[in-house]
Amino acid sequence: MTQAALISLENQGPLESDSQRVLAIGGILLVASGMLFGEVFAMFVLHPNNARIGEAMYAAAQLIPAGDAEGILGHFMAIGGFLENRGTKVDTHSHIIHMGYIALLLAMLQPWVALSAATKKFTAWLFVASASLMPVAIFSIHYVGLAYSPFELLGWGNVLADLFGALLAVAVFFQLWGLWRYGTGQAELEPSPTYFSSGNGASRTLLVGGLLLLVAGFLYGAGYAAWTQTSTVSSEVDILKDIVTHAAGAQQALLDADFGAFGQLQMYRAINVAVHTHINEMGILLLLMSFVQAFVNYHEVTRKRWAQLAVLSGFGLPIGILLEINFGIIGSIVADFFGFTMIVSLTAMLFGLLRYTGARDAQKGERS
Amino acid sequence: MTAAQRILILTGIALIACTMVFGVGYALLDEHQTLVGMGTQMATGFMAASSGDMESAYAALDAYGALTQEYRNEVHSHGHWGMLSLILIVLGLVFDRLALSSGQALLVACLLAVSTTLFPLGVVLQIGPAAGIGKLLAVAGAMGMVFGLLMTVYGLLKSPSG
Repeated sequence: MTQAALISLENQGPLESDSQRVLAIGGILLVASGMLFGEVFAMFVLHPNNARIGEAMYAAAQLIPAGDAEGILGHFMAIGGFLENRGTKVDTHSHIIHMGYIALLLAMLQPWVALSAATKKFTAWLFVASASLMPVAIFSIHYVGLAYSPFELLGWGNVLADLFGALLAVAVFFQLWGLWRYGTGQAELEPSPTYFSSGNGASRTLLVGGLLLLVAGFLYGAGYAAWTQTSTVSSEVDILKDIVTHAAGAQQALLDADFGAFGQLQMYRAINVAVHTHINEMGILLLLMSFVQAFVNYHEVTRKRWAQLAVLSGFGLPIGILLEINFGIIGSIVADFFGFTMIVSLTAMLFGLLRYTGARDAQKGERS
Repeated sequence: MTAAQRILILTGIALIACTMVFGVGYALLDEHQTLVGMGTQMATGFMAASSGDMESAYAALDAYGALTQEYRNEVHSHGHWGMLSLILIVLGLVFDRLALSSGQALLVACLLAVSTTLFPLGVVLQIGPAAGIGKLLAVAGAMGMVFGLLMTVYGLLKSPSG
């Protein structure tokens, strides 16, 4: 197929070419699995791990009066391990979702990527395969460690994560090169793809919901930043100074109070960052999903209901996280519930897209 | 593609390229050292306290605090540049659906593009001697983004549903 014919075909719908299908369906699968991983990670790793970090720091402080520097160092080494365990899980979660976002965006941009059909299909598969394998490699970093590694500091998990990251960059740069060729007139120019302006009720609901979430995310971030700049609450460094001072003076009751304050501060900060991040993530997700609504093969009313559920979940999830500050586990349950409903609505949209591609393929088969 | 769409999409792509270069350079040259420094300073603070040297302990904990702030600003700047660029591209794809005149759309697109560039720049500038200017840019960028996004919502709500 010539480039002009391919671009013309892609202009008629977002799932007309192989590369668009691979990127759109792969993208939704990545986002949904990333969210599922996040749910499991929050429940089984994040909370227990935070408790272990606090316990290790408390144990290190208990060794200060005895002057046991080696013991203190040992506890900080353990904290390093806990932080690595937590960090690789967070990275896995965020990378799966972000790669899914980029895949969806690339799917929408395909009509403007001036490359041959074979190259586009190959780079689409390269992107989706690398995006699926890179988080697996990141996840393995903590467990594989330096086993059988020829490097002093890097394990095979790091090496593979970097390799898949480099392959992702290659796939993205191919796409950018195609966009550049289109933009500089090296390929036949076509107007904007028709599906960008073929909005329906569901698409508009998702666009407006997504944009309002992004506005809320900005206001929340700005409010939190202003609070941290002007707040009279003790900073992390102030509390740490109190901890070492009271530990050195063997003032156990004050030391316990300091650790209580430290734990509160860490929790407050983590929850606020999570709220801000999740508002924005949900906003971007809704914007991206708005593009494919015209091709989610359901009745308009059904399609709009799934879109409304996605918007409701997008607002509900960060509100649930925020509720954790005052209501603890109840907030977690609310957040998990809306995380689950978001996964359900995404999965429903995915089935709608599969129905669409199946119907189109069947039509083509009948014609031939 | 309208002029407003071109501004949003090309600025988004240029900023994504910039933030990828920033991210790779930062990861290779600075991030690892900063993280190790944070851990070392905190452990040093505890060990100095165990030997009774409280002055060194406080100094190490202050250094830990400064490194933590630096790390946060760098990561926030990188993360915000990437995500806001993504939003610019996405908005660029739908900007012709807004019920705004071409002049209004162009103004909103310019506002969003400039704000996306300035906000993360302001965050990263807060590390160095130009912290005051950094705060000013970050606040102006955030306000510009909020106003630009609200104008986009207004344009969408005014557009006929199709």
